[in-house]
Amino acid sequence: MNRRELFSSLARSGRRESMTVPTDRLVLVGAEQHTGPLTLADVHHIIRRLGVGATVAQANAFVGKTADEVVESLLGPNETQHPDPPGAWVDAATENPLGADLQTRNAIESSWYANHASLSGWWVRQLARDLTATEKLVLFWSNHWTTEFSFDETVSIPQTLYRQMKVLRTNRMGDLRDLALEMTVDNAMVWYLGGHFNQVGKPNENYARELMELFLTGIGWYTEGDVREAARVLTGWRASRYNDEPAPQGIYETWFDAAAHDTGAKTVLGVTIPGRTKDNNTAFQVKMEEVYELIKIIVRQRPEAVSRFIAEKFYRFYVYSSPVDGDAEFISDVARIFREADFNIRALMKAIFTSAHFFDAANRGVQIKTPLEFVCGLERQLGVNVPTAAEWLTRMDQTVLDPPTVAGWPGYRSWISTNTYPVRRQLASDMLSKVMSNANLYNLFSSFDTSSKDAFLDAVLTHFLPVPVSQARRENYLTILSQTERQLNYTWAQVAGNEEAAARALRDVLGAIFRAPDFQLC
Amino acid sequence: MKRRTFIQSTAAAAVGTQILGGVPLKAFSPKDLDGLVQAGDDNILIVVQLFGGNDGLNTIIPVDDDQYYAIRPAIAVQKQLAVPVVPGRLYFHPALDPAGAYNLRRMFDDGRLAVVQGIGYENPNLSHFRSTDIWLSGFNTSDPDRRLIDGWLGRYFADHLPDFPATLPDHPTAVQIGGSLSMLLQSPKGDVGIALTDPDKFFQLGQGLSPDLEAMPGDTAYEREFNFVRLVAEQSDRYSSVVKEAFDKGRNTLQYATNGFVRQMQLVARLISGGLKSKVYMVYMGGFDTHVQQQNDDLTGLHPFLLNALSTGIGQFMQDALAQGFADRVVGMTVSEFGRRPYENGSRGTDHGTSSIQFVFGNGVNAGVFGQSPDLTNFDSNGDLVYQYDYRTVYADILENWFGGSPDETKSVFDLSPNENILPLGVIKKTVSSVDAYEGRVPVHVRLAPNPVTDVAWIEWSQTTPAMAKVDIYDGTGRFVERVWHGAVDPGSVRLPISVTASGSYLCAITVNGARTVVPFTVIK
Repeated sequence: MNRRELFSSLARSGRRESMTVPTDRLVLVGAEQHTGPLTLADVHHIIRRLGVGATVAQANAFVGKTADEVVESLLGPNETQHPDPPGAWVDAATENPLGADLQTRNAIESSWYANHASLSGWWVRQLARDLTATEKLVLFWSNHWTTEFSFDETVSIPQTLYRQMKVLRTNRMGDLRDLALEMTVDNAMVWYLGGHFNQVGKPNENYARELMELFLTGIGWYTEGDVREAARVLTGWRASRYNDEPAPQGIYETWFDAAAHDTGAKTVLGVTIPGRTKDNNTAFQVKMEEVYELIKIIVRQRPEAVSRFIAEKFYRFYVYSSPVDGDAEFISDVARIFREADFNIRALMKAIFTSAHFFDAANRGVQIKTPLEFVCGLERQLGVNVPTAAEWLTRMDQTVLDPPTVAGWPGYRSWISTNTYPVRRQLASDMLSKVMSNANLYNLFSSFDTSSKDAFLDAVLTHFLPVPVSQARRENYLTILSQTERQLNYTWAQVAGNEEAAARALRDVLGAIFRAPDFQLC
Repeated sequence: MKRRTFIQSTAAAAVGTQILGGVPLKAFSPKDLDGLVQAGDDNILIVVQLFGGNDGLNTIIPVDDDQYYAIRPAIAVQKQLAVPVVPGRLYFHPALDPAGAYNLRRMFDDGRLAVVQGIGYENPNLSHFRSTDIWLSGFNTSDPDRRLIDGWLGRYFADHLPDFPATLPDHPTAVQIGGSLSMLLQSPKGDVGIALTDPDKFFQLGQGLSPDLEAMPGDTAYEREFNFVRLVAEQSDRYSSVVKEAFDKGRNTLQYATNGFVRQMQLVARLISGGLKSKVYMVYMGGFDTHVQQQNDDLTGLHPFLLNALSTGIGQFMQDALAQGFADRVVGMTVSEFGRRPYENGSRGTDHGTSSIQFVFGNGVNAGVFGQSPDLTNFDSNGDLVYQYDYRTVYADILENWFGGSPDETKSVFDLSPNENILPLGVIKKTVSSVDAYEGRVPVHVRLAPNPVTDVAWIEWSQTTPAMAKVDIYDGTGRFVERVWHGAVDPGSVRLPISVTASGSYLCAITVNGARTVVPFTVIK
């Protein structure tokens, strides 16, 4: 498994040909704004990337608007309402399984898995229904500031994951440092990366390392000494999890154990955070003067590294997962805009998604759909819910909120293997043959331009595939549509006017489209 | 990292009823000599990945080092509880010697296990992900911007498969159990292996998935990704029936333990038994990132649990392989991105470290202990262990001594410059290719004693014909140290003294008539 997407300056030595990604990917345009009204294909492109895909009506509503208008509309306001919770369990206390008898323990553990399933199913539905960029951005951040639901011999309690998603949603588009601060003291994170056990005299380096390596700068911008010092800064935070544990800040909140905090001075990246006395060793002061200060020091001392690291992470997730030398300049430009906007995330996103680079033909159809994009996109494209979606996602190697490691899902080509590709094909085929009724299919059929077979096919292809297909493929799809006409001895107009015939024609042509490799791309 | 993944997803490879399976060893015959046939043809490698960074110091216990007990007050294994595999020399964590099962300890006793101490690399990286990439790619680069995207085995096999990927071999070259395909098996030409979880489901879903569209002719990003998906579709279709056939035909001869990792080993045994001609199997165990609560006072807990599963899985696999007669064709090795920091942390755990230990198993290994116990008084500038052997010295063993590759291929796989060298560590017994045997390029049997050496060691071998001989010393990283001899030697026995000034781990390479033998040795001054 290439296991993750490393920050790369893309200015590699390239001394071995096979080591370098091919450099023939020529995107000749950069961060300058895309101009002119968006076409239907442009609209599909941006909605598939910023969200999970468009319905016919949603796509049509955006045609003719500018990139800036569409991006503003999709990003929405920074303050957003949180969706209604998945169930009353999000506020239910959790008993401590340690020391409990076996039966109680099993019951507690079962409730974790049941609640995780509830949370997963709920969130897939949010993602599939969300016509804005919001939930996919929450997904992006939850895969960046990763927390695994199950790891080692323990779990992240789903109640805490639900709260963490709210933290991500609240801070998703603001100042990067605020997001970093809130995630650093997030209850689920404090538990997941060992902060809970980090104490004066015996630091636990786990979170301190990942804060720099995976969350802010990438490898190569700090020393092992910086990791140790940052770990000292982060001593003392404790996660309330079980109903028999102290919870001075409330259930499932993080609290500060002053006695466990290292009050000595620390030096990170050459900047010293002064020591403190007992009197000002409080949760609020330590959070603001040490934790927040640590994050600000990292960003201030390594602004280029941080901005490029985050810009490239966005690029890989939203634009192309395997950027080449030619893309480095664009990523640099986005990073510069991000710095100039004082690390405002919304500014970074606007720079990417309104750019000529993003809309360039060379960036169409180059992303391998993640399982979530595949499943939610299918749901959106077909206008029908995917039953047991979370279970299908697990079979495609993307158990919701449960990435394999702290680096998140490795992404890109690792999504498609002989294990998972057959599952994707099975789901697509099941949707057509088992899930969708003739009425469902006719509904979808009628949402396209049915005035002629050619117009209909073009509308279907634009709706389901990222890039125009070759003439030969188009002819082949036309032949499939003609078969229905021929077998029933109908004209196209008669097919279009008959539910059963139309459903059959659409089922056949979609079956062929779903078999094509580019149905996995967006 | 989660350990339930494979417990949930790996097929329970039930004991089948099939009586016969397996591919016969290719018999040596002169007509095989017309070119392509090599002794490595039937040889299989199993790569056991231990993700998270296995704690070497709590795997092989340095019971005679007081410093070990000083730096690990909470989690050290006391001497009386460690398993004296070689009293005075080698002690295992007791979890490696689970009662009942054939296991790593018993394999050591039977000459089927090599323990390599101090395996690591120059400029260690303490990131799980970067260090894993370094281990799997076979490239140790200090340039953090150099992206590592393919694996040493992927590159080696992609260059050996004729017309790959336009033509796919009949059987998958490599099989990874579970998950998505490892970087280890990726190459610039495409994936050389498949990811497999459940052969029945794979068969059921994979049939007929071949795309009815040709590969795209161009090389734009869109076309490359299109062709990538297309190749996976084709592999799914083609290999689902081959794998299913081997799975149905194969069998296991014993009841494996119910553990996710052990089940992976069981599935590998069954596929080999059923005649699948894959060269590499990759299995995976996570959970080794033991920052917290690594071990309880009674030596239970996360790390012991993992060691137990590792030992049981490999042991039961080997027992099955012996019973079914394919043990001679299989060697395996563990890989883990790093060891842990020597000092324990305050959470009864250990943070990321550097060099560690590696197990290499099978009938084809030179059983024993390679390298010295780690020096716990002489850390690097970060307070971490100093490595003794470059990790690629074991890979070179696999390439040259197990798969029949040439030293030139080793250099090319690891992208070495002309003055860089990675020599086989000598942990795998040399298997002689039929071509070499035919042309008389047979490595001599070399004795080197005493080992470890404090002053002068003697190397001895004998040969029946006059020969050109060359004797070179390299350090554990493959760096050239000195040439001891280069010239003609008469028939009969040869005896040469060697001495090295500095303590450390070394390799002595003896080349007679073009055939090289490598013997590791240790100098203690």
